[in-house]
Amino acid sequence: MYNIATLVVGLIQVLVMLALAPLLTGIIRKTKARTQKRIGASILQPYYDLLKLVQKDEVVSDQTSWIFRACPWVNFAAMATAAFFIPVFLVYTPFGLVGDLLLVIGLFALGRFFTMLAGLDVASSFGGLGSSREMMISALLEPALFLSIFVVAITYGGTNLSTTIEASSISSFLPHPQIIFAAIGLFIIILGETGRLPFDNPATHLELTMVHETMILEYSGKSLALMEWSQSIKQIILFTLMVNIFVPWGISSSILLPSLAVGFFMFAGKISLFGIFVAFLESSVAKWRLFRIPDLIAIAIATSMIGIVLCYL
Amino acid sequence: METMQFDILTISGAILLIATFGIVATRGFMDWLNAYRYQSIVLSGVTAIIGYVTGIWEIYIAAGLTLVIKSIIIPKVLTYVTRKLEIEFKLETNPYVSIRASVIISALLVALSYFLIQQIPFKSDQIVNVYLPVSMAQFFIGLFVLVNRRTVLSQVVGLLIIENGLFLFAMALTHGVSLLIEVGIFVDILVGILISSILLFRISRTFDSLDVGKLENLRDD
Amino acid sequence: MTDSFTLFQAAILLYVAGAILGLLSRNTSLTRTITFLPPTVASVLLVIFSSSIIISGKSFQFVAPGTLSFFNFEILVDGISAFFILIIGIVSFAVSLYSIGYSKEYEIKKRTSALVFLFNIFILSMVLVVASNNAFFFLVFWELMSLTSFFLVIYDHDKEENLKSGMTYLVMTHLGTTFIFASFLLGYIQTGSFSFDSFRHGSAGFPLLVKNLVFVFAFIGFGTKAGMVPLHVWLPKAHPSAPSNVSALMSAVMIKIGIYGMIRTIFDFSGFGASPDFAWWGMLLIVFGSASAIVGVLYAVVERDIKRALAFSSIENIGIILVGLGLSIVFTSFQLTAFAVLALVASMYHAINHAFFKGLLFMGAGSVVSVTHTKNIEHLGGLVKQMPWTSLLFLIGAISISGLPPFNGFISEWFTMQSLLSSYHIPSTILQISIAFASLPFALTIGIAAATFVKLFAMTFLSKARSKHAINIKEVSRSMILGMSILAAACVLFGVVPYLGTSLISTAFHLSSQPSSPFDSISIQNNSGKSFANLSMPVVVIIISSVSVAIFGFIRVLGGDTKKTTYGTWDCGFGGLNERMEYTPTSLSQPMRAVFKVFFKPHNQTEKESFGENPYLLKSIKIETVIKNIFEETFYAPIISSFVFFFDKVRRLQTGKINAYLLYIMITLVLLLLFVRLSNNV
Repeated sequence: MYNIATLVVGLIQVLVMLALAPLLTGIIRKTKARTQKRIGASILQPYYDLLKLVQKDEVVSDQTSWIFRACPWVNFAAMATAAFFIPVFLVYTPFGLVGDLLLVIGLFALGRFFTMLAGLDVASSFGGLGSSREMMISALLEPALFLSIFVVAITYGGTNLSTTIEASSISSFLPHPQIIFAAIGLFIIILGETGRLPFDNPATHLELTMVHETMILEYSGKSLALMEWSQSIKQIILFTLMVNIFVPWGISSSILLPSLAVGFFMFAGKISLFGIFVAFLESSVAKWRLFRIPDLIAIAIATSMIGIVLCYL
Repeated sequence: METMQFDILTISGAILLIATFGIVATRGFMDWLNAYRYQSIVLSGVTAIIGYVTGIWEIYIAAGLTLVIKSIIIPKVLTYVTRKLEIEFKLETNPYVSIRASVIISALLVALSYFLIQQIPFKSDQIVNVYLPVSMAQFFIGLFVLVNRRTVLSQVVGLLIIENGLFLFAMALTHGVSLLIEVGIFVDILVGILISSILLFRISRTFDSLDVGKLENLRDD
Repeated sequence: MTDSFTLFQAAILLYVAGAILGLLSRNTSLTRTITFLPPTVASVLLVIFSSSIIISGKSFQFVAPGTLSFFNFEILVDGISAFFILIIGIVSFAVSLYSIGYSKEYEIKKRTSALVFLFNIFILSMVLVVASNNAFFFLVFWELMSLTSFFLVIYDHDKEENLKSGMTYLVMTHLGTTFIFASFLLGYIQTGSFSFDSFRHGSAGFPLLVKNLVFVFAFIGFGTKAGMVPLHVWLPKAHPSAPSNVSALMSAVMIKIGIYGMIRTIFDFSGFGASPDFAWWGMLLIVFGSASAIVGVLYAVVERDIKRALAFSSIENIGIILVGLGLSIVFTSFQLTAFAVLALVASMYHAINHAFFKGLLFMGAGSVVSVTHTKNIEHLGGLVKQMPWTSLLFLIGAISISGLPPFNGFISEWFTMQSLLSSYHIPSTILQISIAFASLPFALTIGIAAATFVKLFAMTFLSKARSKHAINIKEVSRSMILGMSILAAACVLFGVVPYLGTSLISTAFHLSSQPSSPFDSISIQNNSGKSFANLSMPVVVIIISSVSVAIFGFIRVLGGDTKKTTYGTWDCGFGGLNERMEYTPTSLSQPMRAVFKVFFKPHNQTEKESFGENPYLLKSIKIETVIKNIFEETFYAPIISSFVFFFDKVRRLQTGKINAYLLYIMITLVLLLLFVRLSNNV
């Protein structure tokens, strides 16, 4: 099963993720602009931004240490490594033997750990503010995420994503009502993890509302490009997980070219639709007050708990 | 003969108990000393009876020693030491339990001793049967005197009663321990009395009182 | 046999020699180096000794017959003991090296002889506790361990609070010892011998009630030593009070001895078997483990004292270890051997990991405290530029303890999560659902733990110094850095090559499944025989490093060579950005305090001073945030006050009156005689 061809397809899946990540961000931004009666920038704009940023000189704060400079690289390496374990348009990935969903979450946490440190390293109150809020949100998201993974793992027989998605692609929702609850929980968590409304507003630069933006406020040039790119990768990974676990329609189960092509276009379509859905949602809700966010997370936890009970009953 | 011997034993035991009650029932130091002297004389008589019944000659020597030391020397010493003390130190004016109640408690203690000894399997020997409860009663009463009385002098007397009880206990059970040991015990008692007399004298000087309640002040709070 | 005996003897003799040498030593830097040499060498011997036992698989037994007619002096080092001796050996090796430089701090103030003496005896007593095979000697060494650690806790006895912590520790540890004693006494009553061998052979025949009692007593007794909630109150007081090298030993090793005792009792002496009768034991461990984890970490995240935060985090990690152990018991009682093995590996892997990173972090904190002379992180900051090595090593420890890949904490937490997920095999719906819900506090713990260590690391080492304590300081001496690097290397190694840990544990505990090669992926199967989960850390590390190289090259090619300019942090154009505008540890954890306000009951005390009548023109304002320690207030305070009430009554017995004392004697005598009399009657 795991020969050179699958390895190549696996690597292509990773590259697709890395390459399409800014595009997804572009689609979401464009949709948001259109819903606000603006024309908006081209959906390719994130690519132009990245290209411009890597060519620019950097300004680094004199208060910072090597942690601040290492953070973008650690972040990118963590997110890109996490992309290896996600089946994208093929139901499995050859790297499923190397790591599972828990490792993916661990890598996300590693990136976030360094981002929070970098936010505090610059010695401004902005960074501290972002890190402080992020500390709270991420600590609360962790149990919610684990519980929804719990439901998915025991329903589809594994935290190994190849197993999970393979099992979900050949079964339907009907015998597994708990999956719907897990999906609701995971959706809320994804909004939190990717810094979307109502958790965080990615478009704001107002200190009252910023979370993620404050931590990367001091970055410029190549470092900023890396931070932005890794954030998009994280977003596409989480969206892919959502799409492939809960609506695995059209995913290719073999490495034959036609079915792979179908799988790829289905994937692109599904993920764009999901992105557009998220963008619509963002346009229709306001950011919640910081201390109401735990309520939202509590909803995610509660639905996952109902899911667990349904699993066993 | 047998019954008569038993009667003698019982009567002597009863006399001994009455002598002990004399200490409980009286108030002044001199009365105690007299009661003690009287008790010791009876004790030496009892010892002599034990010697007669068992036919061991060493017990007669013990009886003689009891007579000499307990009824003559110790009262003399105590009288000599306390001669300089003022009269109010020698009177037990305020015991924890009143004299009347303490006599009743002593009676209960005697009953308790009989009850306790009853089941202990020494039935074969009449001496044991008669004197063991008496000795135990004496021991308890002595202890009770120690608990009940406030002045140091009556504590000394309580100690002496306990000692008498123990002496009788040993005598009844073993029919005379080795003479050498008994002489040792007598000397021990004598020295003990001397030391406690000196202490007593010092206490009266230092605290201006012989009330053991004052020792409460030594407690670390 | 003879070889390992010689090694063991040599190690013990070296510790004794070290203790004596310490007593004789004078305070010079030369003797400081020499006095810590014996424990260093002895620890190396211990590592060799224990690994030879684990590898050979033969246990080492030694009985000195007739030491005391009743209690033979018995030593038995089997795989389990050897595993814990290995932990002791590695950590004490690093700590001994560290102490060479660290004890310099104490030379100025007082003699180090007592420190060296107690340090040696402390390690020795821990080794002997683990090696004992007789309840009597186990307790003797246990008590020796408790007492030496007590004296080490109050080593800085000039400070009032250290004496207080010492007293709390002394009381709690003896409470624990009482329960352990009770557990062993039950074994003695059943078997008529104090030898562990007889417990081992006789325990299967105990009645069920006795088995349960043996377990519960051992659970409370050893749980106290391990710092399990709600018996943890001594730990956050005692560990920070001790000198930091000792804190490292206490937190990294001593509380594991509690875990050792629990494992020993449960699996060896309590007649535990594969029957659902024993499932509640495991559930008890899981419940108390999760409670410990969440309580420990919640206190850690709001703590400002660096050493106390680490101590609270020890409680959290003990909780994680207990959850793994409990799962293992539940699985065993339902005869799910494969998952029992998985959970036991998870638990023991976390035990050894915690020894490594907590030892490392306490040493790091000790280095910081020794140069800045403050434990309060409010006063620190900006140390990364002045202490590059310490900060790097502390960061490794922080990443490890937060359970982030690719370091060791992630591996054991991965195992524990997988064991939690495997609970779906248990044939009881109630247990399945309760274990699933127990994973909620567990996951929350991991999330908050990461936040805790972000705060600890960032507030100590990053941004600007917030007080003069953290200005103009020097990096610590080389021996201290060496000591820390050993444990840091262990953290990295056990994270990147989990094969080391899993094969170590499965050999030591004689578990059935063993991975065959270091690059094999750890795999768990599901019901349909497919892979439930796989993990292969060496490959992950290869991927991470190749991705890093690739992206570095890609960015370089795409962007070309760019310049870096150094300039001040963005200050919104106002200028004069200073350290008073930074986030402080308290403000950083403010959202946490707000979210868990039910638990912390935070309370702000504000003092304002204004110019004249106008309340809006403030001259000064002082805000103090206080959080409540609900355990001490709601759990211990009533117990303590009722005890005080009771003993005040009891105190009246001690009147100081001779008559009263004589009365007690008399009453006792009468009662005893009555007892004899009445029992004779029957």
